[in-house]
Amino acid sequence: MHSPSVLRFEEAAEHLSAITGSDFVRLNGAKVTAAPGSTEEISAILRFANANGLAVTAMGGGTKSSWGNSVAADIVLRLTRLSRLREHAWQDLTCAVEAGCTWADLQLALKCHRQMVALDPAWPGRATVGGIVATNDSGALRLKYGSLRDLIIGMTIVLADGTIAKSGGKVVKNVAGYDLHKLMIGGFGTLGVVTKVNFRLHPTEERRNSWTVRAMDPMFFREGLAALLDSQTVQSSIQIRTDGKRFALDVCVAALPKTIRDFGDQLQQIFRNLEIVQSSEEVWREREELFMRGDALILKVSMLSSQICSSTSNLMKFAAEAEIDVAIVAQATGLMMIRLSSSAESAISFVDRLREQVEGAGGRVVALQIPEMLRERLDVWGALPSSVELMREIKHRFDPNLILNPGRFVGGI
Amino acid sequence: MLNERQLDELRATLGPDRIITGRSQLQTYECDGLTNFRVLPEAVVLPRNTEEVQAAVRFCAKHRVPFVSRGAGTGLSGGALPAAGGIVISLARMNRILEVDIPNRLVVVEPGVINAQVTQRVSPFGYFYAPDPSSQSVCTIGGNVAENSGGAHCLKYGFTVTHVLALEVVLPSGEMVQLGSPTLDTPGYDLPGVFVGSEGTLGVATKITLRIVKRPEAVRTLLAAFHSIEAAGQTVSDIIGAGMLPSALEIMDALSIKAAEAAVHAHYPECDGLLLVELDGPGREVDALMFEVQELCKRNGAWEIRVAQSEQERALVWKGRKAAFAAMGRISPNYIVQDGVIPRTALPKLLSEISDMAKAAGLRVANVFHAGDGNLHPLVLYDRAVPGEEEKALELSYRILHLCVENGGSITGEHGVGKEKQEALGQMFSEPDLATMQLVRCAFDPESLSNPDKIFPRPRLCAEKPGPYVPHPLETAGIAELF
Repeated sequence: MHSPSVLRFEEAAEHLSAITGSDFVRLNGAKVTAAPGSTEEISAILRFANANGLAVTAMGGGTKSSWGNSVAADIVLRLTRLSRLREHAWQDLTCAVEAGCTWADLQLALKCHRQMVALDPAWPGRATVGGIVATNDSGALRLKYGSLRDLIIGMTIVLADGTIAKSGGKVVKNVAGYDLHKLMIGGFGTLGVVTKVNFRLHPTEERRNSWTVRAMDPMFFREGLAALLDSQTVQSSIQIRTDGKRFALDVCVAALPKTIRDFGDQLQQIFRNLEIVQSSEEVWREREELFMRGDALILKVSMLSSQICSSTSNLMKFAAEAEIDVAIVAQATGLMMIRLSSSAESAISFVDRLREQVEGAGGRVVALQIPEMLRERLDVWGALPSSVELMREIKHRFDPNLILNPGRFVGGI
Repeated sequence: MLNERQLDELRATLGPDRIITGRSQLQTYECDGLTNFRVLPEAVVLPRNTEEVQAAVRFCAKHRVPFVSRGAGTGLSGGALPAAGGIVISLARMNRILEVDIPNRLVVVEPGVINAQVTQRVSPFGYFYAPDPSSQSVCTIGGNVAENSGGAHCLKYGFTVTHVLALEVVLPSGEMVQLGSPTLDTPGYDLPGVFVGSEGTLGVATKITLRIVKRPEAVRTLLAAFHSIEAAGQTVSDIIGAGMLPSALEIMDALSIKAAEAAVHAHYPECDGLLLVELDGPGREVDALMFEVQELCKRNGAWEIRVAQSEQERALVWKGRKAAFAAMGRISPNYIVQDGVIPRTALPKLLSEISDMAKAAGLRVANVFHAGDGNLHPLVLYDRAVPGEEEKALELSYRILHLCVENGGSITGEHGVGKEKQEALGQMFSEPDLATMQLVRCAFDPESLSNPDKIFPRPRLCAEKPGPYVPHPLETAGIAELF
């Protein structure tokens, strides 16, 4: 399907310039970068790419462009010009925002009415709505508010053939038609280019308080964590983290001051033999900090929430034996991020062992950031889902010429 | 039409005790809660496990027989209406709760399990299953999955889709697949996300992994009586504006109060706008917020405020609200239940327009709604015995839907499109939107056998080339340009 030789990139750049204006198209070796200014322009570009079999990748802040299998794109769509908050119906607790808007800009605009999209993805200053949607990124607030699938109520999508389709709407409660937007969340841009997203909003957490419990082994947290999750206080976030030496359990509650005091007392009861301190908001950026070491392997692990203490403990023991430098931030939801610095062989055996451990219970291990020496040797996505054929069929229906992020996703989709 | 040989094949495959073909028995299955559409199926099969569902679906695939899966048949949009010449797969016998995993807050059920049974099963552990459609004492989880059912408490807790993590599904080919996983974010498209709410058009769910929620420490329910619906509506906006997220915010108008009183004697105050607010969470927090809610009610002119003093009182308040639809029979020989959604702020405008339209049509419209999320249930009252009144009532109910779409809302918040609103879906979505949805349909069900001719305004074949644009050969050859 891929025939750049038929159509020279100069010609492609010329075509795209006719769509967006030449100021917004750059020829960059064997790649054309275009910054369209509207959904219609994206539609025109995709029609052109589809007709000519050119591979397209959409990009916002580029913070997660290394996630997934690598893609040799002919056209890079920069969505930076599509960055406006189109509507903030604050009394309805909804908003509509263009996909190129950074997360921080969006939240700042919503904050004037003390509202937010209840999600704390990584690198909010640079990451954009579209990229966060494509990768289904989420942070510590997920425990309380769920993920993008619970927060997105509508979307505008451009398909590979240029079709502009809307899904959902502007109201939270809506069961009309298929929820196409669910397929776009975490679809790594393989089914369409998202240009606008409608969110349901929540009031901002005005009174938050975080505590940190410390221990020498994560197994000390196990009973307490189960008790926390089984308690009637709704925590905003709970995570377990380790830098390889010490272990911490962070917990955050947003509530009225007296509820916060009550919860503090409850926490003392639950972890009565452990050290508990008040902590700052900074602890909730620890997940992001893992990525600071650019040469490390970063894994995202999905497991049952009841497994996180024992898994962390086992992994740290294994890492110590194999002399692997490991840091972990695990959410109580069962989503764990692991940073690994080691030889290629050790890293591979670590990943194999981890996959063996979690895949049986339906969990998965995905390599998000892979050092160059492991690129060829490590399977990014791990075991295929049993419904992979159905996923391929969906991809085939949406993008028969395989132009959108070809090969980037699980199963080579 | 199935011939005798085919019926024999079905009997031989599944066993004779799994099949109903007698006319009088088939009549039980000819409609769902939307009784003005009726189709007699050729046969009803009653599988007991996934393999039997697969066998029935394979039979359908082989003979190209359409099938409709069905739970308790409480749906209100004709979603479980049989397909002409097709079979109904009743999942009523697949009614086991297979697994309860409290540490991971999961429950695995078969599709015929009744909604309320899930909560009953986990309540000794202090948990509940949050989606609570009014029919929860009879409706099944399989039906809830098909319709993405909500209920009064979805304002805070979300819909069925929020609570479904994974599904075992028999595809229309007869193949069985697992969609999703009990763990979060497993790689791949969110197939449970698109399957839930697809109204039985993508296959048959045979096993469902549900998320359960910890029962809050305290639940407080308040009733406030206002002189107008608008004042009740304003109070809802004020509560939301104050940054609160109640677990339920319901409004009933004078007519629906009258009907509910007649049916279940909930001791509602007689007023033009009754607001029901439910808050839940830590006891001290709920008490403080309830005080704030009462202040907001007073500020908007509430002349009576009652906080339920016991679980019994609370249950009675809800009994009246949940019985509101059925209670209409007490004050009108016939009625149409409508289900539309609007942005909450459009509520006062829309209600006055509905009232004008009802007056012009010479009909009464009772209003019950989930005010917190703008989900209206206007009930158009009429008398079938009066010639022409049913048509007028139907027209009025569709015009109300149109009004919802014009105001930026939806034609259905929880009842589904089904058979009833196929045409209305075309008001809400354009042709390219619908064609894109059809791509999903065709990936799951290329032969359109699973609940065919539902949801979409017109039947479409998967071989049809959808999409608005096919490049002209001249354009492909570079001779002409589109711009």
